[in-house]
Amino acid sequence: MDSHLHKSSSHTTHKWQKVAYGGMQPGFDDNHTDESFLEEMIMNANVVKRDLVKVILDAVSISQYLCVVALVVLVWIYTLRSIFSEQSLLLLDIALLGWGFLVVLLTAEMLSFGLLLNYILRTSFFITGLYILSPIYHTLTRSISSDTIWALTASLVVLHLFLHNYSSSTAEALEFSTFMNNISLNVSIVSSLLVASRLPSRLHVFAIVLFSLQVFLFAPFVSYCIKKYSFRLHLFFSLGLMAITLFFVYHLHQLLFILLLSILVFVNLVCPYWLIRIQEYKFVINGPWDEAKLCFNITE
Amino acid sequence: MSLQGKHRILMVSDFFYPNFGGVENHIYYLSQCLMKLGHKVIVMTHAYGNRSGVRYMTGGLKVYYVPWKPFLLQNTLPTFYGTLPIIRTILIRERITLVHGHQAFSTLCHEALMHARTMGYKVVFTDHSLYGFADVGSIHMNKVLQFTLADVSQAICVSHTSKENTVLRSGLPPERVFVIPNAVDTAMFKPAPVRLSNHEIVIVVISRLVYRKGADLLVEVIPEVCRLHQNVRFIVGGDGPKRVRLEEMREKHSLQDRVDMLGAVPHAKVQSVLVTGHIFLNSSLTEAFCIAILEAASCGLLTVSTRVGGIPEVLPDDIIVLAEPDPNDMVMAITKAIDLLPQIDTEEMHNRIKKLYSWHNVAKRTEIVYDRALKCSNQSLIDRLPRYLSCGAWAGKHFCMVMIIDFLLWRLLQLWQPDRNVEVVPDSNLTSGIWVQMRMRYNW
Repeated sequence: MDSHLHKSSSHTTHKWQKVAYGGMQPGFDDNHTDESFLEEMIMNANVVKRDLVKVILDAVSISQYLCVVALVVLVWIYTLRSIFSEQSLLLLDIALLGWGFLVVLLTAEMLSFGLLLNYILRTSFFITGLYILSPIYHTLTRSISSDTIWALTASLVVLHLFLHNYSSSTAEALEFSTFMNNISLNVSIVSSLLVASRLPSRLHVFAIVLFSLQVFLFAPFVSYCIKKYSFRLHLFFSLGLMAITLFFVYHLHQLLFILLLSILVFVNLVCPYWLIRIQEYKFVINGPWDEAKLCFNITE
Repeated sequence: MSLQGKHRILMVSDFFYPNFGGVENHIYYLSQCLMKLGHKVIVMTHAYGNRSGVRYMTGGLKVYYVPWKPFLLQNTLPTFYGTLPIIRTILIRERITLVHGHQAFSTLCHEALMHARTMGYKVVFTDHSLYGFADVGSIHMNKVLQFTLADVSQAICVSHTSKENTVLRSGLPPERVFVIPNAVDTAMFKPAPVRLSNHEIVIVVISRLVYRKGADLLVEVIPEVCRLHQNVRFIVGGDGPKRVRLEEMREKHSLQDRVDMLGAVPHAKVQSVLVTGHIFLNSSLTEAFCIAILEAASCGLLTVSTRVGGIPEVLPDDIIVLAEPDPNDMVMAITKAIDLLPQIDTEEMHNRIKKLYSWHNVAKRTEIVYDRALKCSNQSLIDRLPRYLSCGAWAGKHFCMVMIIDFLLWRLLQLWQPDRNVEVVPDSNLTSGIWVQMRMRYNW
C-alpha cells in the first residue's frame, strides 16, 4: 500500500521533458504544449531599423541616375532632330571626358600616375575602336522600320533602368560581374547603337555612340567617386542635375516634364515613406529548426 | 487496445517502397504494427517504373500503386482534381474510415487529404521534415501546407522541434499537434556478437553525401581527427554529389589507408557496416528526427552528432555527444567520445534502446490520435469554408474556390458513378486460402 502510494505520487511529480525517447511521458498527453513551447524562437534578429530622412537621402542616388539617363535620351532626341550638329556633339564628348577625369583625379584618394596612365590608355583604345567600327553601326538597321527602332529603344531604356545596380555605395557594386548588371549594361549599349544607326553621317554615329557609352559605362564610377569624397557634394550635384534635367525636359515637352517630375517625387518621397510604413510588418523567424550555416567557405 | 473498435486506415504518400528512406520506413513499420493491433491498413502511392497496380506486402498490407508517374523529385504531377476519381474509388472500395497523409513535400498526400475532406472523411497528417521560412520554395510550400492543415482533424510531428516548426508554418493550434517520434527495428539492428578491440578506433559515417547532410563538415573534420589521433580509422558509406570532395580530401592528405569509401550501402547491409565501428558520426545541418543515429545506437555505437533540429531530443545524454556544426567543435566532440568509449557496453545500449523506442509503442500512440480524430464533428462544406478564408487575404478566397469546385466535381462523380455501383472489397483473412484469394482478385 505504501509503495503503491509512493509510486503514484512520484508519477504526478514527473516533470515534462523535451525528449522523444521513452514513449509517452506519464501524466502528459502527446499533444501537451509546455510553457517552454517556442521559447527558443528569435524574431527579427537581423532586421535593420530604418530612418526616414536617411532613406530619402539614399533615394537621391536613384533619382540622380534617372536624370542622367533622361539627359542622355534628350541628347539623342536633339541629335535626331538635327538640333545638335556633329561638331557640337564631339565638343560635348571631349568636355565630358575631361570633366570625368578631373573629378576622378580630385576625388580619388590613391590615384597613382601608373593607374592614371592605364585609364588614359584604355580610354584611347576604346575611342579608336569605336571610330573604326562606326561605319558598321551606321548601316546596322537600315532595313528595319523606324517604329520598331523607337519602340525597341524605349523598352530597352526602361529595362536598363529596372535592372541597373543602384547600390553604388560599396566598391564591390562597381563590379560588372553579376547577372543583372551584365544584362542592364548590354541593354543600354544596344539601345544607344540602335539610336545611332538612324543618324545621317558616320561622324554623327561616332559622336553619339561615344557620348552614350561614356555615360553608361563611366557614370556609376564617377558618381561613386563623388559620393565617397563628400556626401554634401553628391547631394549638390544630384539636385543640380535634377534641376537641369527638369528645365530641359520642360522645354521639350510638357507632358514628359510632368511625367518626370512625378517619377522623381515618387522615388524620392513616396517610396521611402511607404518602405518605413510596411517595415513594421516584417517578421523574420529564427530558431533551432533552421538549417545550420557553415562558418567556413567551401573551396571547390 | 482501442475500445472504440478497429479503424480502416488509408496511408497516402509519394514516398514508399521500393524507395528507401525515413518516410518510407515509417509508413511500412507503422502499418505493420497497426495491423498487429487489429486495424486494417491500405497504402496508396504512385507507380514506380513498371510497378503499377495492386501489390500485397508482408502480413497482407495492400498497396495501391496508382498509375501516375512521378515528375519531379519523386512527386506526382499536381493536377488538383485529377486524383479525385481514383481516391474516391479506393476510399469506397476499401470502406476506409480515416486517411493518414505523410510528408509535406508530397503532392499526392496534399491532394488525397483535400479530396478526403471534401468527401467527409477524417484526416490525419504527419510531418517528417523541417522547413525554413525565408526562400521562395519554402514560402510556397508553407502556403500549401497552410491550405491542407486548415481543415485537418489532427496532426502528428516526429519531434518537439518539428512541432514548433509545423505550428509556425501552418498556423495550427498547438493542441492539435501530437508528438510521436519514429522508432527503430531493434531486431534487425543488433550489436556485433563479439566485442571489437579498442586499440584501433573505427568511426562510421553513413549518409547521403549532399550539402544538407553536412558532407562539407566531414571534409574539414576527417583530416584533423586523423592528424590528432593516430589509431582512428574512418568508414564512409553513401553516395552523392559531394563524394568527389571527399575523395579529393582523401588524396590531398594521403588518407587512403585510413578512410574507406564504401559507396552507396543498400539498406539491408547497413547493420553489417555499422557493427564494424565504435563511433557513429552524423554531421547533418538540419534534421527533424534522425533515424540513422537510432540505428547506430541500437547497434551499440556511441554517437557524435551536430546539435541541430530535433537531434538533441533523440537519445539520452550519456550515449550521444553533441557538437555545434563547426569543425573545431566536432573534433573536440570526437575526442571526448573516444575517451568515453571504454565505458560503453554495446549490449546494454542495445537493450536500453529496445526499451526506449519501439514501433508498437508508436502504433499505440497513433491509435490514440486516430480515436481523437474520429471524435471530431462532421461538418458540411459551408461550415468548413471559414477555415480556408482565414488563410490569407487573397489565398483564402482562392482556397475556397478550389474546395467548392472539388465539392461540385465530387457531386458530379456521384451522379455519374453512384456509390453503390462501386464494388466493395470483402474482408479476407490472408492466412487461410491466401493463394486462392489472390488469384480470384487478379482475374477481374
